[in-house]
Amino acid sequence: MLKLIQVLWPSFLVAGLAEILFFTVINPQELYLLGTPVRFSPLATYSIGFFGFWLVCAASSLMTLFFQRTADEINHPEG
Amino acid sequence: MTPVESGGDDSLYAVRQKVYVRSVTGWFATWRWTLVWATQILFYGLPWLQWNGRQAVLLHLVERKFYIFGWVFWPQDVFFLAVLLIISAYALFFFTAIAGRLWCGYACPQTVYTEIFQWIEQKIEGDRNKRIKLDKSPFGAQKLGIKGAKYGAWIALSVWTGFTFVSYFSPLKELIHEAVTFSFGSWELFWILFYGGFTYLMAGVMREQVCKYMCPYARFQGVMFDPDTLVITYDVERGEPRGTRKKGVDPRVVGKGDCVDCGICVQVCPTGIDIRNGLQYECIGCAACIDACDQVMEKMSYPKGLIRYSTENAIKKHWGRKEIFGHVLRPRTLIYGGILAAICVAFLWGLATRAPLRVDILRDRATLAREVDGGWIENVYRLQIMNMTEAERAFEITVSGLENIRLEGGSKEFRIPAAAIESVAIQVQIPPDAARPGSSNPIYLEVKAVDDPSVFVREKSTFLMPN
Repeated sequence: MLKLIQVLWPSFLVAGLAEILFFTVINPQELYLLGTPVRFSPLATYSIGFFGFWLVCAASSLMTLFFQRTADEINHPEG
Repeated sequence: MTPVESGGDDSLYAVRQKVYVRSVTGWFATWRWTLVWATQILFYGLPWLQWNGRQAVLLHLVERKFYIFGWVFWPQDVFFLAVLLIISAYALFFFTAIAGRLWCGYACPQTVYTEIFQWIEQKIEGDRNKRIKLDKSPFGAQKLGIKGAKYGAWIALSVWTGFTFVSYFSPLKELIHEAVTFSFGSWELFWILFYGGFTYLMAGVMREQVCKYMCPYARFQGVMFDPDTLVITYDVERGEPRGTRKKGVDPRVVGKGDCVDCGICVQVCPTGIDIRNGLQYECIGCAACIDACDQVMEKMSYPKGLIRYSTENAIKKHWGRKEIFGHVLRPRTLIYGGILAAICVAFLWGLATRAPLRVDILRDRATLAREVDGGWIENVYRLQIMNMTEAERAFEITVSGLENIRLEGGSKEFRIPAAAIESVAIQVQIPPDAARPGSSNPIYLEVKAVDDPSVFVREKSTFLMPN
């Protein structure tokens, strides 16, 4: 549970910030998806964008958590 | 979550339950509830307010326009948002330096919603002892009913909170219509449930854990403290050695301090700490322990303020009120306050002088320059004119900077609808001898409101001559 929070919570905060910055600068209606203009409603684009950011940030948090493990924890997982 | 149990059930401490209930009616509790009301009337009420025939505060994501009372903000105004964030940060620094975690104790949504959720809990399940008893009792119809009622009320409040949150970003009128006909947009419904769900999780389940483990501010608030910062303090010198005693006995005679060790300060603490162990980072500064302790002191006929707002220096040097207040103004608070005041002034000045018109000039990339009738040379420009007011407005475009420069068809007038951007193409022409071939020449395009000549924008661009 603690690990879950450690991964999901900081990434949530940063994703919120990234979402605001990104969509302030970029109009979702001007985005292209695989070469064609994005046809989702603005609300859908904002929402998908937020979860995209969250996912990326969570991946980063997960890596941090992973690299924080000591050699002992990696070599003797049962101990 | 579970506050530390206090020892002993001496008759004197049988009033514990009563004190616990009364603790929410103390001086600081009144302040906390005032803030709960103020912030929540604002939060739940603001979307219902109308202004100029529209929602007064609407951060319209789909239109990419923020309506805030008389103002309409565009993505280009992100500067104001950035400054607002800086102001918030400095306000936090300033108030923290003066009196600790005022924000946490009184205004933070986490505190406010926890307070509301706890109030519901107390109304439905009863006070602390009843709740403990209920949780220990075996599962049955009565327990199911009580618990169900509580969770039901929590869920209703959460959904309402989620609905209100979304109504800041999608017009409330449309949301109500969608709610009545139950035809919510799937994303709107998702965000209502998402925000509502998080409200429930944070205020109903996580509570003080959010402050202890998830809040970034709680981790670094210590750097803004100094020995003159007002914090909730237990007067060790006066209270120790703590211990039980009979009512009416002079504590000094039995070799004890003023603390009767009733443990009520721990029971009322929303983060479950013991303030008598000194300042701890978990302390959100809600002052519930002050209210609780004062009531016990009153009962014991001791002076109030065994736990009180004080400073490290004041406790050490036995300062009174006058000396404490005398140290509120010190380099740290003056610097925070000075920067805060300066940014506020700059923000207000920027807002007051914000031009209701914005113009972007793009050169037409297809044809850089071409020759037209009579050998004149023509450049084409595309003007993005933003009318930032909420009324349709006529604008006149003029050009200057080169001899005999003119707009094709004379000066132009365009009507731009309220709060809208229009793209306007203009052809600028000069006689062939007005500039050297192959040269690039500065020119000025001026856009002026017809009804108010003080509203204008003068933009520089370049006029290209072909070789």
